[in-house]
Amino acid sequence: MSAEATPGRWRLPAALRLGNAGVVYAFALLVTVLAIASQAQGRVSYLGPTNVANILDQSTLIGILAITTTIVLISGNFDLSVGAVAALGAAVCLSLSDSIGFWPALALALATGALVGLFNGVVVQYVGINAFIVTLGTMTAVRGIVLIVTDGRTVTAPDGAAREGLRAIDGGAWVTPNLYLLAGLVLLAAGIWRAARTRRWRAPRALVPLVAGVALVAASPALIFTIRITQRTLYLLVLAAVAAWVLRYTTIGRRLYASGGNAEAARLSGIAVDRYRVVAFVLNGTAAAFIGVLYAARLGSINPTGLSGFELTALAAAILGGTSLFGGLGSVAKSLVGALILVTLKNGFNILNLGANWQGLVEGVVLIVAAGVYTVSLRRRQTRRIREVETPPTGSGPPGTPDTGEAGEAGDPPAKVPAAQKGD
Amino acid sequence: MSDDPLLLLDGVTKTFPNGTQALRGVSLAVRPGSVHGLVGANGAGKSTLVKIISGAHQPTGGVLRWTGQDRRWRDPGAARQAGIATIHQHVPLVPTLTVIENVFLDRRGAWRMTAALRAEFAALVDRLGYRIDPDAVVADLPIGSRQMVAVLQALAAGAQLVIMDEPTASLSEQERRVVFDAVRRLSAQGTAFLYISHFFDEIFELTDRVTVVRDGTTVLDEATETVTEGMLVRAVTGRELLAVERADTAGPDPGAPVVLDVADLSSAVGLRDVSFQVRAGEILGIAGLLGSGRSEILRAVFGDDPSAAGTVRVNGAEVGRSARAAVAAGVAYVPEDRAGQGLHGGLPIWQNVSLPDLARLSRGRLVPRTADERALAGRAVADLGIVTPGVEAVPGELSGGNAQKVVFAKWMYADTHVWLLDEPTAGVDVGAKADLLRLIRQFAAQGKAVVIVCGEFEELLSAATRVLVVRGGRIVAERQAPRTTEEELLMLAHGLWTEPSGPEQAPEPSDPNEEEMSHER
Repeated sequence: MSAEATPGRWRLPAALRLGNAGVVYAFALLVTVLAIASQAQGRVSYLGPTNVANILDQSTLIGILAITTTIVLISGNFDLSVGAVAALGAAVCLSLSDSIGFWPALALALATGALVGLFNGVVVQYVGINAFIVTLGTMTAVRGIVLIVTDGRTVTAPDGAAREGLRAIDGGAWVTPNLYLLAGLVLLAAGIWRAARTRRWRAPRALVPLVAGVALVAASPALIFTIRITQRTLYLLVLAAVAAWVLRYTTIGRRLYASGGNAEAARLSGIAVDRYRVVAFVLNGTAAAFIGVLYAARLGSINPTGLSGFELTALAAAILGGTSLFGGLGSVAKSLVGALILVTLKNGFNILNLGANWQGLVEGVVLIVAAGVYTVSLRRRQTRRIREVETPPTGSGPPGTPDTGEAGEAGDPPAKVPAAQKGD
Repeated sequence: MSDDPLLLLDGVTKTFPNGTQALRGVSLAVRPGSVHGLVGANGAGKSTLVKIISGAHQPTGGVLRWTGQDRRWRDPGAARQAGIATIHQHVPLVPTLTVIENVFLDRRGAWRMTAALRAEFAALVDRLGYRIDPDAVVADLPIGSRQMVAVLQALAAGAQLVIMDEPTASLSEQERRVVFDAVRRLSAQGTAFLYISHFFDEIFELTDRVTVVRDGTTVLDEATETVTEGMLVRAVTGRELLAVERADTAGPDPGAPVVLDVADLSSAVGLRDVSFQVRAGEILGIAGLLGSGRSEILRAVFGDDPSAAGTVRVNGAEVGRSARAAVAAGVAYVPEDRAGQGLHGGLPIWQNVSLPDLARLSRGRLVPRTADERALAGRAVADLGIVTPGVEAVPGELSGGNAQKVVFAKWMYADTHVWLLDEPTAGVDVGAKADLLRLIRQFAAQGKAVVIVCGEFEELLSAATRVLVVRGGRIVAERQAPRTTEEELLMLAHGLWTEPSGPEQAPEPSDPNEEEMSHER
């Protein structure tokens, strides 16, 4: 907001403005409030290693789905079926692992998820039915299949190979090295890389991470913060890193954003739009089946109505992260923060011992406020653009006019934000 | 016909707040029961005029007299109330409602349907002489019937003057007859029509009087029977059509290799047996009216029409039927709808420019080298003189001409052999237009094959070396650009050159082309 109001020389870099980084600010605010509140009530330290590890662990399932749902949304589609697909994946894995062994059953579960995704994608893209309708249908139908497969009863993992398999995919945990040291090293590496690339060591873009990195590394013997990372959290982190890298740095990501932003123009530029969109569905289905198995792994069983409404939570996380429902706009990292907000809210209610009854109301309000902030900031950007266009095009605009947009000062902004997000 | 005009415009001017003077003084008089033709080129001021008559705009000056009284409409509702109904080209009906509900859409009253309304509908249908099921849902009707529903709607509102804006642009011949019959029948009953059309043959067939506007003024206003085709063409274009500056139309070397070879292209949208060849260094113009199939040909050649059948060869190799295959074969397509089809409004310029050729600009075809992409976009900005704050700007911030240059830049640095250009200069200012035309000639000079579709034939002739005339989805004539005129192309495109035989075969005067074709083979 303040960046928009200051007319003159200095403007907040695009990546840090409310419209782009609002979800991060919201998360920081939420964590601060919860930390202070729990401190005041004399409960366990909110930002202590145990609780942080807990929040990460609890965010895993919703985080994974938020990532793949974001990919589907970026491609310009919509997927409501993932909650049901997750339940189906779990049911397939648990009920078959006795007869064919755990690993083949797991593979079959993932294949089932992929198949549902393929069905969604083919019907949406090649038959041309609206994605909302198609996935509403598969959501209902797949939930029905789960009931058929399980005969309406909870499926419990049989002892022996199945239990062991489940433990193999979800039992592990590692204690991280000192995170301050780790963060310091990462910052150092980033600073060095930037400096080496631009050959300007004094530029703030290189200097800031270098100084911060040195400070953190120097302080690391005194400041120690390690958490226990569960195996499932590791899945989340790896998936997030890979997805963010692919979306941000590869042609696949670029073409995905292009397909969602303007399918017609993308197709006429020679991009196989249909194929990209189908693959997004397949990915979403596979990830859903996988988190279904993870969910069952912790409980040792799957209830046929389990994971209901998960698709909506994943969508909420993506929307909190600023993903557009109309395609071409979104970021894996921010959706992940969106998922963290939802989990933190829940966790905060528990820790502060506030009535769980209030949780839904607060979540809903947060969602609408977030969407409102994005919409308003986007609209403001667009009205500004119109004003720029209306001023007579007298060659290069006078210096300091706002028509350099977000790009002018930022120079090389993408490091933080996928550049595809800057428009509408 | 009585002598008192129903609608009289005298010296109507319109200046928009931004200084554009759309109308500089238009005068016309529509008499009751007459069919009055209104003709003019794109941008001549026709639509502004219609908006003033129908109350959407206020005139800046001049007189608008309706049934003998000076009037200024507050809004379109006031004009409608007074008895002026406008039927736009894209008929604004509610597709999910039935015919009768659409016809009486503006009626107040508690009930959706009453017996009285049905009786009124029957009376209207009798007046119109066109049977239509009142309970059919509008979405299920063909476009021609929808036009008739709009006419009924106008009648139901008690219109004394019906303005029809290009009513037949997307109609079949049969549907056209139905609309014509209705217009004649109603005008005999005393309803006046203001009939706007690009098709001169319709003007001659249907109207009693014709008014031509050009550059915001009335340049011709006479009884249709005293007007000739030549007068109409001259009035619309405003020239004797001599002053067209032509490029150095030496044309390509006749021995140059054929780059693009299109054979027997037909499609569900109405293309029939379209075949042509384009040599290296040649600029082939496609002339045709809106709805003649001119844009559809380019789309089909580009492989973006799944229903298209026929073969397209680039440098002798057959191209698969998809846009992807066409791009891979080195075909560039600059679509008509820049914002909707040509550009990604949300991506910065440098990402737009590199999109068709992204794999080549990437490490291992996977990781784009963004520095190279930005450098390429920077080169395009310099080469094409794109006025932009920088390569990070999004195309939505650019003016039409600069945005179009970005579309060109998408294909310029790739391995392009064939350029398909659909209205490349539409909505572009004069300076940028000259830039783009120079660029197109430059492509040809580099030995590319260029196909250009352009509704403004003067411009087409200044760019092309050879012109194909399209009407009804097929090629009806072929001309060498230096040996034809805008007037001739207009006549051919309107189907006026060969009135007796119709657009069945290439007309006789194209004999020289037959030779042309034969020696090309």
